[in-house]
Amino acid sequence: MKEKTPLMKRDGTRSVLASLISILIGLAAGALVVLLASLFNKSLNLKTAWEGIRLIFLGIVSTGRDAAGELSFGFNPVTFGNMLFRATPLILTGLSVAVAYKTGLFNIGAPGQYLAGTTATLFIALEIPTTVVPAWLVWVLALLGGMAAGALWGAIPGMMKAFLNINEVLACIMTNWIAANLTTWAFDVSNLKNTVENTKTAYIYKTSFNGVQTPKLFLDKLFPGSQVNGGILIAILLAVLMYIIFTKTTFGYELKACGANRHAAKYAGIKDRRSIVLSMAIAGAMSGAGAALYYLAGNTEFYWSTYQSLPATGFNGIPVALLAVCNPIAVIFTGMFMSMLDIAGQQLTALTAYNEYITDVIISVIVYLSAFSLVIKLWLGGKAKKKGPAEPDANAEKQPVPAPDAAAEGKEAGK
Amino acid sequence: MEQNPEYVIEMLHITKEFPGIKANDDITLQLRKGEIHALLGENGAGKSTLMSVLFGLYQPEQGEIRKNGQPVKIESPNDATALHIGMVHQHFKLVDVFTVLDNIILGAEDTKMGFLQKKDARKKVEALSEQYGLHVNLDAKVEDITVGMQQRTEILKMLYRDNEILIFDEPTAVLTPQEIEELMQIMKNLAAEGKSILFISHKLNEIMEVSDRVTVLRKGKYVGTIDTAGTTKEELSRMMVGRPVQLVVDKDEAKPGEAVLTVEGLSVPSKVHKNDAVKNVSFTARAGEIVCIAGIDGNGQTEFVQALTGLEKASAGKITLCGHDISHASIRARSQTGMSHIPEDRHKHGLVLDFTLEQNMVLQRYYESQFQNHGFIRFGEVRSYAEKLIEQYDVRSGQGPVTVARSMSGGNQQKAIVAREIDRDLPLIVAVQPTRGLDVGAIEYIHSQLVAQRDAGKAVLLVSLELDEVMNLSDRILVMYEGEIVGELDPKKTTVEELGLYMAGAKRQGKERESA
Repeated sequence: MKEKTPLMKRDGTRSVLASLISILIGLAAGALVVLLASLFNKSLNLKTAWEGIRLIFLGIVSTGRDAAGELSFGFNPVTFGNMLFRATPLILTGLSVAVAYKTGLFNIGAPGQYLAGTTATLFIALEIPTTVVPAWLVWVLALLGGMAAGALWGAIPGMMKAFLNINEVLACIMTNWIAANLTTWAFDVSNLKNTVENTKTAYIYKTSFNGVQTPKLFLDKLFPGSQVNGGILIAILLAVLMYIIFTKTTFGYELKACGANRHAAKYAGIKDRRSIVLSMAIAGAMSGAGAALYYLAGNTEFYWSTYQSLPATGFNGIPVALLAVCNPIAVIFTGMFMSMLDIAGQQLTALTAYNEYITDVIISVIVYLSAFSLVIKLWLGGKAKKKGPAEPDANAEKQPVPAPDAAAEGKEAGK
Repeated sequence: MEQNPEYVIEMLHITKEFPGIKANDDITLQLRKGEIHALLGENGAGKSTLMSVLFGLYQPEQGEIRKNGQPVKIESPNDATALHIGMVHQHFKLVDVFTVLDNIILGAEDTKMGFLQKKDARKKVEALSEQYGLHVNLDAKVEDITVGMQQRTEILKMLYRDNEILIFDEPTAVLTPQEIEELMQIMKNLAAEGKSILFISHKLNEIMEVSDRVTVLRKGKYVGTIDTAGTTKEELSRMMVGRPVQLVVDKDEAKPGEAVLTVEGLSVPSKVHKNDAVKNVSFTARAGEIVCIAGIDGNGQTEFVQALTGLEKASAGKITLCGHDISHASIRARSQTGMSHIPEDRHKHGLVLDFTLEQNMVLQRYYESQFQNHGFIRFGEVRSYAEKLIEQYDVRSGQGPVTVARSMSGGNQQKAIVAREIDRDLPLIVAVQPTRGLDVGAIEYIHSQLVAQRDAGKAVLLVSLELDEVMNLSDRILVMYEGEIVGELDPKKTTVEELGLYMAGAKRQGKERESA
């Protein structure tokens, strides 16, 4: 009964292609910067430029330099494992932004929710003595506590939006900085400051000091020598869970209806205020989970004096979500891609005269382009139409004729 | 074709294609000097496209435009202005924070040494407004004046530019009955002064009243041009729709049964002023009758419906539905007790425009066990239910159940809402302006559905601003004026004139009126 749409004409295919095109252009821009830098700097030349460009595209499979001093490529379990480890929080903050966006809210509060999650997780993981409570239980409590704190921090702007009609972007900016200062204050008065490894200041104990850390789940066997742990699997699981909630359940239907048209949702008897608060709480819980899984790794340290800066992982959730067109499953891949860029940046720094800031250029170009992804999608749509045989337009007469108003506005805008 | 100076504007054999659709197919329109020429057609018949061609917004693939017999090329709205063609758009193009005078001269200002010279302009506008009876306050800001006055500002804008050919694109859609009356008079004055008017509409009453000749389009094709004097509404609607249309609803005597809805002393606070928008309203709607709340827009009908359906809180009063007190019930509780609601604003309340048609079809029922299983949507059920409604109620769309609601035509959006609400099969149907902005074919359909529901024993509460609809459809009329019910009328015993007097507040029944 239902005809299958050809692959190239499917909306999803076009979205994926649009994102891939954005990524390619972004990478090409990074390569161009490397090339230009090489042309105008005497210590660099086309050979080093070629090395830099190859690392931008293939950094993830770089294995360093061989005996002859040439770049070598191949499967590198360390970089691959590290990529997965760093992708974990990015996937979750990406989910945080994507889930809120699906319900019509722009969650710019991911950094604050991430910090709230960090604080709660670290306090629970380090303050509950594992001599009394089993370590695995502390780990579970720390993860759930981090998610709960993130949820609470997301729910605050949600409530402001629902009950006072305050724009969630403004409220989120406020809660971000409140979280930054509260976090600093909480750790400042705590006894969790790392006094054992005295080489660095303003860091908190690793959770492994209390024997609490995320199990490796045999991933360390797959990627020996890397930081990877079971957290990536939990992130993927949460992404799948979000996908199911938002596409398969009545609860997701309510949240989406409320996001797309709050008035119509209310008309249909959906509790609009409750939906908005819940959307933001779920988004916050995702950011909180990201923070929890990052700091529960056991090998990560938290710089607690955050009151002057917000965690980049929170903000990077925005490009991760945009690039994924806010699809929770796609977020898994865009999160991994962003962390791959991170790795490529490290390789550039380690192996060539270029540095990791090139990746910032790439990310910013991609973010700009992801805003254009709709244009690219339309352009792809146009191509597909021209190629295919003219569709018999049975609905021609039913299509609304373009209103002169719309055309007039277009013309005026064009002037 | 020889030159024919009888016509001030001729559009000959115009064809305009868009990808996949011939919006105009060999259309000819000839406008005489000093006449009011109506352009009639259903939504999507190609009226707006044709006018856009005349106004220079689109270039036709074939055909020719002549002015006073001379072929002209209109490639942009500037060319149209140079030929003294002016247009009043359906949605006004005014700067809200400018005064009326500033809006009128905008784009045609006199300047001296770079300074605005408004004195002469004011004189000219005042003279024009006197000559044609276009009363406006030149120094008021556009955002502060009524829609009717905004429209007069638009008309003055055209006259200030010495336009000879005036296009009115569905000018009455946004007006109250009084303002429509005034507009008709203004159009007649303009024609008497030698202006030529093209009047786009699908409202037959207005066309019959004001126009000299009518050109009818159907599905992008030219049907014909006839003198208004020699035709009837029935003939026009047949030309427009392509089949005979029932303009008067065919219905039997109502057989009212049990009381379904009882409203006692309902008052609703206003959002704009301190007084109540709805004051002490009481009535009963019984099974098997259509009760109509008539009134001029803004007399508390919107607030009343919002309080009745639970969208807003009432300040006093009791609402009983099917024997249950629902005065303080939630929206969903009211709906489950037995209330369907066809809302006034289909884009704001009726549909989630970015959802697909099938998602919208279950907007009121997605939580019922038929459509979900432990919180998981049963997509198969939703699809087949949507397909059933689409089939049964003839909702047309590009891709069936998966069409995005936003891309559908207004008439079919409304049909989808009507289908969804009627199919819930609840004892009370609250229908608020269910035919607003629709063409006769769709109106006929929705009216017949409401009558069918009445005959099936439902209580229908109709809220309407259209006098024809009120007179045709209802079994009982309650007139609302300034938040009160000022009269209860029997449509078979009353006249449109009497109804109008009640609606305007000139007449009212005693306070001791029994709430029947």
